Amino acid sequence: MEFATFATRAATIDAEPADLEIVDHVRALLEAAGEDLEIVARFVQGRVFPAWDSTTLDIGPRTCYEAIARAAGTNVDADDVEERLADRGEIGDVAASYDFGGQQGLGAFTGRGDAGGDGNTGSNGGELTTREVAETLSDLAAADGAGSQDRKVDLLFGLFNRCSSVEARYLSRLVLSEMRIGVGEGTVRDAIAAAFDVPDDRVERALQVSNDYGRVARVARDAGLEGLDAMDLEIGRPVQAMLAQAGTVMGALKDWDEAGVEWKYDGARIQLHHEPPSSPGSNGAPAGANDAATTRIYSRNMEDVTNALPEVVEFAEETLEQPAILDGEVVAVDDAGEPLPFQEVLKRFRRKHDVAKAREEISVRPVFFDCLHAAGEDLLSEPLTRRHDRLEQLLSADENLDPAAVDGLSLLWFSDDPEAIESIDAEALEAGHEGIMLKDPDSTYSPGRRGKHWRKRKPDIETLDCVVTGAEWGEGRRATFLGTFELSVRDGDASEKRGSARSTGAPQHLETIGKVATGITDETLAELTALLEPHIVAEDGQDVDLEPAVVFEVGYEEIQSSPTYSSGYALRFPRFVGVRHDKDPAEADTLERVQRLRYGGRR
Amino acid sequence: MFKAIVSAETLTSALDSVSVLVDECKIHLEEDGLEIRAVDPANVGMVDLSLDAAAFESYEADGGLIGVDLSRLEDIAGMADSGQLIQLELDEETRKLHIQIDGLEYTLALIDPDSIRQEPDIPDLDLPAEVVLEGSDVNRSVTAADMVSDHIALGVDDAAEYFYVDAEGDTDDVHLELTQEDLIDLQVGPAHSLFSLDYLKDMNKAIPADAEVTLALGEEFPVKIYFGFAEGQGQVTYMLAPRIQSD
Repeated sequence: MEFATFATRAATIDAEPADLEIVDHVRALLEAAGEDLEIVARFVQGRVFPAWDSTTLDIGPRTCYEAIARAAGTNVDADDVEERLADRGEIGDVAASYDFGGQQGLGAFTGRGDAGGDGNTGSNGGELTTREVAETLSDLAAADGAGSQDRKVDLLFGLFNRCSSVEARYLSRLVLSEMRIGVGEGTVRDAIAAAFDVPDDRVERALQVSNDYGRVARVARDAGLEGLDAMDLEIGRPVQAMLAQAGTVMGALKDWDEAGVEWKYDGARIQLHHEPPSSPGSNGAPAGANDAATTRIYSRNMEDVTNALPEVVEFAEETLEQPAILDGEVVAVDDAGEPLPFQEVLKRFRRKHDVAKAREEISVRPVFFDCLHAAGEDLLSEPLTRRHDRLEQLLSADENLDPAAVDGLSLLWFSDDPEAIESIDAEALEAGHEGIMLKDPDSTYSPGRRGKHWRKRKPDIETLDCVVTGAEWGEGRRATFLGTFELSVRDGDASEKRGSARSTGAPQHLETIGKVATGITDETLAELTALLEPHIVAEDGQDVDLEPAVVFEVGYEEIQSSPTYSSGYALRFPRFVGVRHDKDPAEADTLERVQRLRYGGRR
Repeated sequence: MFKAIVSAETLTSALDSVSVLVDECKIHLEEDGLEIRAVDPANVGMVDLSLDAAAFESYEADGGLIGVDLSRLEDIAGMADSGQLIQLELDEETRKLHIQIDGLEYTLALIDPDSIRQEPDIPDLDLPAEVVLEGSDVNRSVTAADMVSDHIALGVDDAAEYFYVDAEGDTDDVHLELTQEDLIDLQVGPAHSLFSLDYLKDMNKAIPADAEVTLALGEEFPVKIYFGFAEGQGQVTYMLAPRIQSD
């Protein structure tokens, strides 16, 4: 397809406000793309390479301005282009405003009109094709080392020099990843389905496994539904990660009756692709069928981060005997194996140099929670329960091993009991993790979807400032710390009757509403103990009564009616947020506010 | 089969005159010498180079073709002092080039020639005007034009019989005239064309100041620039397509 044809159609799409009409234009474009279908299906989304391919053009705006300036004519420089951009606000508009093509090519003088066979050496009089653009951009992405920036300008200049106004508009947007003609992934999916008469859910499936819009379009056209259905995951081609939305325990149990619960790790998401040496179970993956194991690790954005994470590669080589694609997190750990904050992982994650040195400073370890492919079998459409079983089998050397002892395995519990889930949450926090994930046990793996099947427990809908009225001495290593703090709120009405509590210094009228024990580190417990100990008024075994003096900010998931506490309410999943040093008990939240939050709807 | 010994200076001159246009090139290892032809990605500038076997201390070849990364090879050649000799030998089996400079040995991986941009056809141009001048005058013209503009016009006034250079900037202009007396030779004919300094500046870098340079010009036609190096046993021809002149 001539690039001018593509650009003209892109302009039509650009001007079209209605989604359905856009799909129809894209459909027509795909039908007309001929040999260049794969390229066109990518270009229309503003992509040069397939989504699984982490190759980037790596063209800075300045490189593009220089190329435009050179093609634009005499005495135009990159600053002029930038100035015009400031005026017009959009690079496509700027590129379209110049008159390109002043520089002639030698091909115009050879008498043949075209100096070579591979297109690149064609005279500048010839029509630019989408294939030539794609090939030139691919050469450009491959340029590296000294002088590569100049070479990129040269190549790009060569393209712009052959561009008409409308071609220049879309070429500049394409190279700067600013296509923005209203064509999203869904648009292309629907257009492929319409153009080649295949059901859109099957196109969707093929897109999920291949992560390559160009290839799916070509297969749909050339091999139809049968071809699409035969497309599988390939080791070495990352797919998009399944994502979670925020949710609550109560909501999850209401929707699914039983929830899968796992720890939420404070790490960076990874997708591990592993092919053991010459594995017989391979499904013909391009990276496989060799003598050495092949292990690639991809980030959530499908960037190849293999070289930055040698521990994970070693883990895969030592553990995995079958081809596999696993979904998990990589967590930074200290010498004792305790998790470190997310920022520490980032110091390792995209590192390209001095990996060995960084590894000495911060170790990482992988934790896997899902399995997309095992031993030649794609598992995307299997339920979570089965995928997790396969994961466990892959990771455990001995099937009788307790799952808790399997290295690299994120445990998955199933429960319909909020109390039990609460205690898993408490354990996760205790172990230094972020909390819990809730997963629908029957759900399939949907790449790239932020669906309701996976939920991050939303920790705090609202916080309450509660007075601490009691506590318990801890056990074991926490025996010298106060913990499990009893929380109370003011009964505002009662306080009114007695006059202003604050001015008289009279005891507050307080009602208990719950206990908070989670979300507190040992360090904080020590501080809180020091803060509260002077206010102990009575002790009975481990139980301690405190005079109202300290106010905690407490998060929670829900307020329930409850006979357990004197307020008549209980906080579900209470979590310590901090001490309100700026507030005294007379300024703590009231029962009235609790009632409002309980019944009045949430803000 | 290819085995040759050449002075560092000769090899460097040859490589430099090609690398101003391309990063990679094919080198023909002919029986009577090396030949390189390459065109830039936009097909605007071209180089045609030959280096006779006589320019080498010793030379044996039987018509092979290799692809090289020019900056690599230039870096290696740069390790030699200008008087030093560089020995080149192609290992046919591994497709690598062994390079030896005294005790220093370097094994250079070659590039598959098929992956390098196709060599250009050389336009067969009948250019009416021919200007022969010193490399230093080309250098002066380019440098002066570059001060005011990013383009340069080259022409011959066929009535008054002189060669001229024009550069028009946004504010300042440059005009240079070289008469028969300033030039080594002038063949008068109608000639005026506009060229991008981006290219001409690069080509100028490879033109030795003391070389005798021939410019062949026409009206709105490419310029052909040729000069010798390695005591006349190497020849470089550049060809540069013109810019269409507005108005």
